[in-house]
Amino acid sequence: MISYHPDSRFLTDFASANLQLSEAVCVSAHLEFCGKCRAHVQQLTYIGGHFLARLQPETLAEDSFEHLMGRIEAHESSAQSVSGADLSADYGGSSRSVGNTQRTEAARGGASIPLPRALRRLSQGGLQNLGWVQLGKELRVAPLPIEARVHKAHERETAIYDIKAGGRMPEHEHRGEEITVLLRGSFSDAEGSYSRGDFVVRNAGEAHQPTATLDMDCLCLVSLERSVRPRYWFYRLLEPLVQYRLHKVMSRNLPA
Amino acid sequence: MSDEETDMSKPQELSVRSGLSLEPDPWAPSIRSVAQSSDRQAFQRLYAHFAPLIKAFLAKGMSARMDRSVAEEMTQEVMLKVWKKAGSFNGSKASVNTWIFTIARNTRIDFIRRSQRADRTIEIEDIWHEADSPEPLVEMQQRRLEVIVRQALDTLPVEQALVLEKAFVESLSHNEIAEALGLPLGTVKSRIRLALSKLQILIDR
Repeated sequence: MISYHPDSRFLTDFASANLQLSEAVCVSAHLEFCGKCRAHVQQLTYIGGHFLARLQPETLAEDSFEHLMGRIEAHESSAQSVSGADLSADYGGSSRSVGNTQRTEAARGGASIPLPRALRRLSQGGLQNLGWVQLGKELRVAPLPIEARVHKAHERETAIYDIKAGGRMPEHEHRGEEITVLLRGSFSDAEGSYSRGDFVVRNAGEAHQPTATLDMDCLCLVSLERSVRPRYWFYRLLEPLVQYRLHKVMSRNLPA
Repeated sequence: MSDEETDMSKPQELSVRSGLSLEPDPWAPSIRSVAQSSDRQAFQRLYAHFAPLIKAFLAKGMSARMDRSVAEEMTQEVMLKVWKKAGSFNGSKASVNTWIFTIARNTRIDFIRRSQRADRTIEIEDIWHEADSPEPLVEMQQRRLEVIVRQALDTLPVEQALVLEKAFVESLSHNEIAEALGLPLGTVKSRIRLALSKLQILIDR
């Protein structure tokens, strides 16, 4: 049962494609779990359709249609000589079946892990092929290189957190907004408990210490506005080293 | 009223599903002809109507960020996708207007990313995919909801329509709209929420 959803700002900025990619990936992951929010996003796109229809048309170059048909013909004749399958992949024609294969990817002891479709290119062979950084016994983190070079001003970090059943994250405080989407298992903190599909937002200044439930590992997609500062001096001491390791592993997670 | 509603010379289709009668989507038959028989005349009609709208849409959304001359080139990209993807158009979910909007929106963000030389770690179409759709029952009502949205948009107070237009056409986030209009973020958010409730888009938070 999903109890936490993206608010109207997230859904509107998603439907108009104005979210940063890291946030959009989180909303997209939530939508895979949540039919209600999918329906809202669908309704929001109607707004775009209506505005498009009401715009003042802009004239195109005179031969633009012929030019396009020339391109289409060139595409189609080369597609026939190579293979039709490549073309449909290019244009997303048959992408759904690929997504389903991805979902059945087994990782870590053969358990099936549902990775969001948005991450399928990054996690080609499944979770086990991502580079992980082990942080203590209970937590490992796979940093994801999403738009690492874009939006320097308000940079976000994206990662998958894998917390062992019953494991605790170090208590940490946010210097910026943190979005967590639960992909598997559940966790709780002082504010409440969260289960699969939940979209949890923590704002700057809020501190919390998430704990995974006892019977199941917890897998989360996390998008951070800025780096989180752990409260324990121990983790703070570790931080530069951890940052360095995360950075190194992240570059390994770039698809070839 | 937009011209496709009044111009009877354009192809018409009445979509009736399970007793729920909706106003016709004048462009759906042309999309289907393209999908089924690669009908070039149907495609030319679509092009003549939509390409100038797409160009206007792209030009407005990028004027601040890049050279407007690329709008023409991107319009071709969008129409190429319309040709290729016509088979995936689902008329019970949305009108052709909305379907083409989503293609133009995705093309625009893809273009911006390419121009920023972002790492190609994520495919735009994997984020904004033509979703594993809502349940069939919900889908049946979708087109009716679209009509509600369209009619209510026409009666919105100017300042509410303006914020929505900034978001969907000019491609500004809540934060950017607040900046552009010199308003607090909270005001932009509540204005949009108010507008959405009038469109019967009832998001809890």
